[in-house]
Amino acid sequence: MKKALLLVTLLFATAELYAQKDSLQLDENNEYVYYKVVSKPELSADSVYARAWKFAAALSKDAKPKKGKADKAFNVAGKFMNYTGTSLVRKESGEVSYTLNFQAADGRYKYKFGDFVYTPYKRDRYGNMVAVQGVHIDLKNLTSKYSQKEADDIYNQVATGCITTELRLKQAIDNNPPVMKRPEVKKVHTGNW
Amino acid sequence: MKKRLLLLSFSILAVFVAKAQDTTKTDPALTISGSVDTYYKYDFSKHNNIPTSFASDQNSVSIGMVDLALKKKVGKASFVGELSFGPRGQAQSIPNAAGVYDEKTNSFHIQNLYVSYDVTDKLNLTGGYMATFVGYEVISPVGNFNYSTSYLFTNGPFQNPGFKATYAFSSKVSLMAGIFNDSWNLYTSVNKVNTFGAQLMISPVTGWTAYLNVLTGKLSGTEFDLTTSYQITDIFKLGLNAADFKPAAVVGTGGFTGVALYPQVGVSKDVTLGLRGEYFKTKSGSYATLGPPPGSSVFAATLTANVKARPLTLIPEFRLDNNKNDTDGFTTKSGGLTKTASQFVLAAVYAF
Repeated sequence: MKKALLLVTLLFATAELYAQKDSLQLDENNEYVYYKVVSKPELSADSVYARAWKFAAALSKDAKPKKGKADKAFNVAGKFMNYTGTSLVRKESGEVSYTLNFQAADGRYKYKFGDFVYTPYKRDRYGNMVAVQGVHIDLKNLTSKYSQKEADDIYNQVATGCITTELRLKQAIDNNPPVMKRPEVKKVHTGNW
Repeated sequence: MKKRLLLLSFSILAVFVAKAQDTTKTDPALTISGSVDTYYKYDFSKHNNIPTSFASDQNSVSIGMVDLALKKKVGKASFVGELSFGPRGQAQSIPNAAGVYDEKTNSFHIQNLYVSYDVTDKLNLTGGYMATFVGYEVISPVGNFNYSTSYLFTNGPFQNPGFKATYAFSSKVSLMAGIFNDSWNLYTSVNKVNTFGAQLMISPVTGWTAYLNVLTGKLSGTEFDLTTSYQITDIFKLGLNAADFKPAAVVGTGGFTGVALYPQVGVSKDVTLGLRGEYFKTKSGSYATLGPPPGSSVFAATLTANVKARPLTLIPEFRLDNNKNDTDGFTTKSGGLTKTASQFVLAAVYAF
């Protein structure tokens, strides 16, 4: 039994790392989304909404959540950076803007990352990677502009961005933000030897 | 069995340790980007005629440059150091240590060397040896659509060492003002740091960006420049560069004025076609340009394709220049005077 549990845990951890592109779904409008419904029976809708709103407002410097039409719902815009290359030649290759739709209800909540739009970057005259003006590509149309391999790389990074943000959202709602503990400096009495 | 369980436990631990390390904040790494470029050019007069900055060698498979840009940003502070090796990145675009464009003597190989600091989200201060903010075309072949360069580029500044402050009022409007060395391009000032430069950036609608530039000094002269581009549709982009230059009184009289239009259309995922139509007029006076003599003009049409294979871009290009007078500098195969010159270029640029 223990062995089985261990195996499942291992598979889960591995799957989380590699599930990326497959984590994106196509919704009823044939648009890419990352959508989840989460059960949270121990919290009221008000608590979940308040915690999620606080998270959204701190998502980035420019984040401005707006109340949605439905009860206890909001939308907030954000963006994920995309990179190419590895090690020293790793650099920004583009950004993907998105909208996060959130709604809370008693005992559960749902969220959806959608409206994904890709803007490629290019190197400017000063050696910085900057957005190409006026080029905005809907995520579903990536393959009309890029090779399948390049598009897959962008899809993977978008999915990774959703998974990472989702994790932070869940931690915020669980009221359990990650705490980066500074390792304590050990004390030593140099006279005792 | 215990060993297997132990192994599994270690594997899981390793996964979580790896994840924990990912969440630890570390300084961003030093990044390297750049390009290499090579070309073949054939002037139909069988000798060089068109005074383009690069693609200078007749009937030769020649090299441009290896361009290496190093960048690092930690917090609000960053630097860029861009090194270039090869004709394009040495005597064709930057001077040597003595301030002379000479391939035979040593060069600093520097295209950009500056440090920068974000005082706030909106205000940035930058100082050092920087690519000029003036003009549509640049030295790096990755930043240009055409491989040969315009007269406006060739006769404008390449670099402006100095100190500048940029304030972004919004994502649609920003203003840069700075004080630069008294002479363009050189690593050191001739005497003073007294050239004033400013750039107003406006983006009236999505995809349309315009830069109004001025650079004026007692030794460098005064150049007004408008550089703008508009991505009108997914596949059609229109760029425009217009400039007027008047040299400093101690340098000469006259100058130049010109306008270049850059329509580009994407014909497939990997192929874009572009035309550059440029009118370049030299003013009467003593100031000599790389182009027609003072008081004349030239119209240049360049048809270029960009064929992309991921990081590699092939650039076939045909160019036809038409001077106002047959005494303006072009010659035929036999050496006779002519108004027109034409050339074919096939270049390959690899960006990383």
